[in-house]
Amino acid sequence: MDFKDLASRLGIDEEDFMELVELFVSVSQSDIDKIKKGVQENNCADASAASHSIKGAAANLGFEKISKLASDMEMQAKKGSIDNFEAPIADLETMLNALAAS
Amino acid sequence: MGNPQAYSVLAVDDNLLNLKLIEKSLSKEGYSVFSADNGPEARAIALNEKPDLILLDIEMPGESGFDVIEKLKDNSETNSIPVIFLTGVIEVAAKLKGFELGAVDYITKPFHPLEVLARVRIHLKLSIATNSLIADQAGKLRQVTEAQAAMLPSPEDNPAAMFGVYYRALEEAGGDFYDILDISENIKGYFVADFSGHDIKTSYMTASVKALLAQNCTPVYSPAESMRMVNDVLVEILSEGKYLTACYVHLNRTTRKMTIINAGHPPVVWVPEEGEPCLIKSRGDILGMFKDPHFGIQTIDVSPGDKFFLYSDGLVESAENKITWESGADSLLPVCRQVADVSYQSAPEKLVNFIFGENAFPEDDVVVLCIEV
Repeated sequence: MDFKDLASRLGIDEEDFMELVELFVSVSQSDIDKIKKGVQENNCADASAASHSIKGAAANLGFEKISKLASDMEMQAKKGSIDNFEAPIADLETMLNALAAS
Repeated sequence: MGNPQAYSVLAVDDNLLNLKLIEKSLSKEGYSVFSADNGPEARAIALNEKPDLILLDIEMPGESGFDVIEKLKDNSETNSIPVIFLTGVIEVAAKLKGFELGAVDYITKPFHPLEVLARVRIHLKLSIATNSLIADQAGKLRQVTEAQAAMLPSPEDNPAAMFGVYYRALEEAGGDFYDILDISENIKGYFVADFSGHDIKTSYMTASVKALLAQNCTPVYSPAESMRMVNDVLVEILSEGKYLTACYVHLNRTTRKMTIINAGHPPVVWVPEEGEPCLIKSRGDILGMFKDPHFGIQTIDVSPGDKFFLYSDGLVESAENKITWESGADSLLPVCRQVADVSYQSAPEKLVNFIFGENAFPEDDVVVLCIEV
């Protein structure tokens, strides 16, 4: 991922961008925890809200794949189907770990 | 928050990342940024810091952005701060609601920091322009007030005229007017008028009337002739429906004769040095309305120490209590008796205090002139 390009698209420098990425990763980790908890407790509203939060934050930073995935999860949760959330949650975690490692 | 000159923006969003992103992009451009992740905190900051602009997220847990705008607009200390709301909601209804509540613009989420910057910049410019327009207009009105005050002669600058005055205009451009005419060493003219309507045009008219008085109140003309000439010009220059009620007192301290010309104005109160106060009632046409007016004219013999009160209807009329000066003027006599021993310089204010109470103010513009022979 070209962070420099993403940063310049937002009109900020790379250093600031990396700081935001770090914040994004940690906030999103806690959102994922909320999604997991929602799945465990079969609480669709919580799972949907946490997905919504990841969707918006990712979109603002230009992480389109993450945003798209979170958006799909939000839609699913709104429909009440969170049974098959394990795969998308795993995908999300992989993407966030990749970001965290960079 | 280093630079006190910097424009400040309050960003409100429950999403910390969004807050951080806004903070970073705005501070990079030199703005001071305050941030809050909930409604009550946002309102507290708005009140204490008075930011130049607020970026406000609509969907927040607890107090929503709509609640926040509503409360900000309800508070006179924060209602002029422009608010741009941030919303992920695409529906037109939500945007309309934001505008209805007083927001100046919205930014759809996910937002691009450069768009935020552009909108912040444009609305700050608008707000600066509006504020300077308001300051400019207030400044102009102040100039009118000052010009009007400069047109009203002060007793201190005209000691030989031996008068005291109380003048209070309700608005920046008052409808009441008075002037002192220095006809000769011992002959002075005193003019009190009340324009129909109180607006800026009225205050410009006072300049014309002042000029007309100076031209026409001279030793060459009798008081009635002076007023007729003033009237004839006013008929030409006043717009339709505009007129003034006026009272002109011509006092010759050598012959001790006073001529009072009344043009639809409340009667002059005469407080003799010896004896009971009385009203000098004489009906006359208003000024500036008719080509060939009939004025109430009376000439009386006066004595040193006699006092005369000229005033506008605001002193005796009360719209609230449905009192017109026709009946209100009679009630002045006992009050004038009360201030008979007060010096002419302070009698007008004393009179107003007696009528309205120490700390109360008249409903209308008021001018009161006290002349001592």
